Amino acid sequence: MDSHDRGQRLLGAFLAGELSSADARRWDEHLLACEQCWRAVREDRAGRQAAQLLRQPAPPGLADRVAFAVELTAAGTIARQRPRHGMRVRWRWLAAAGALAAAVAVTVAVLLPGGHESGTMPAAVAAVARYAQTVPPARHPGPGPGRPGAPVEVGHPVTLAAGGRQMVLRVWRLGDVEAVVAISTEPFAMPARAHGVTGPGMAWTARLGSIGLYCRNGHTSELVAAPVPETQLAALAARLPPA
Amino acid sequence: MGADHRAFLEATLPHLDVVYQVARRAAGDGQDPEDLVQETYLRAYAAFGSWRGGSTRAWLAAICLNAARSEARRRRRRPWEVPIRVPLDALPMARADGGQDTADVADVVIAGLDAQAVSRGLAQLPEPQRVCIVLMDVAGYTAAETAQVLGCPRGTVLARVHRGRRRLAQLLAEAGVSHGQP
Repeated sequence: MDSHDRGQRLLGAFLAGELSSADARRWDEHLLACEQCWRAVREDRAGRQAAQLLRQPAPPGLADRVAFAVELTAAGTIARQRPRHGMRVRWRWLAAAGALAAAVAVTVAVLLPGGHESGTMPAAVAAVARYAQTVPPARHPGPGPGRPGAPVEVGHPVTLAAGGRQMVLRVWRLGDVEAVVAISTEPFAMPARAHGVTGPGMAWTARLGSIGLYCRNGHTSELVAAPVPETQLAALAARLPPA
Repeated sequence: MGADHRAFLEATLPHLDVVYQVARRAAGDGQDPEDLVQETYLRAYAAFGSWRGGSTRAWLAAICLNAARSEARRRRRRPWEVPIRVPLDALPMARADGGQDTADVADVVIAGLDAQAVSRGLAQLPEPQRVCIVLMDVAGYTAAETAQVLGCPRGTVLARVHRGRRRLAQLLAEAGVSHGQP
């Protein structure tokens, strides 16, 4: 075996991370004498380092989004629907996969852990917050069509059943924020850590993780969930269309 | 929620980040990597009952690539294909020296990297090399896992990734030298 062949064998073992200590010593000696292998190693390392620049962490919320989609599928409450024109279907279209017609809301049963009021968060409130957690940040911020700052509805309404009640969920985009609005004929129970808000009806605010919650109970109750501070929720809710 | 669904998420969600790395590079033009990740997980969940075990993340990567290919076929386009060939001399690379065309490739590459330039350079590689680099260097799969994903011998993977890395370094360096940026 000549020097070049031995160098190629050592190079292969080096790249595979399989150099024995004796081979590693021979490899080091070989590199000092072989310009070709030295260059190969240098370029290999440079290419690897360059490629590693492309690493990018998964966006926050993607895990929740995926888990939510799997949970819905597991619950057997929606059928997976392949888009007619590609996979560029955002999560909310999947969440509303049963929405075969724009004006028809689907009925989706969200099975929360235990399916009952758990801990200090009522199941219906937790379901809305969880739904809101799957909403990714708006990718194309802006007011959209209509007058500047006007809320733009995203996707189709979805009907959720949680905690033994049904509610209709809609997603609205306001600038760079997307808010989930749950509408129910029954009042939303106030979580243990919520704060009452002065004003008409029985209003309260609360926080669940990154999601702020603002509720206006009345003849028709609304629960707004969005990734904004609680202090901004009332103003945000005021910009939304009436239920 | 069934127990299998919880078991599935426990087994697979820890690998979301590496699947996302693969999806970002595998998603074709017009495909959203996040949609591809979600599609991957839904396909994996559907197949979870018949999954025989092994490397979970290798299994997920294979599903991700298949999902991307399916979508690309549906669109009559091949995955891993760059819709527009970007001239290499457009890559914003820095020169490593004062203008010598014989500058060391590795030095030139390391001196002026940015992710966008690397992404364009990577797109110039043959698909087999590109896939191996994405799986090993971008997503962090081992050579054995990559071999499992691609269904080829580990030695083949090592050879491809080595050739691909060298070619990538050379392309970036050539671009940097020819571009003439200080």
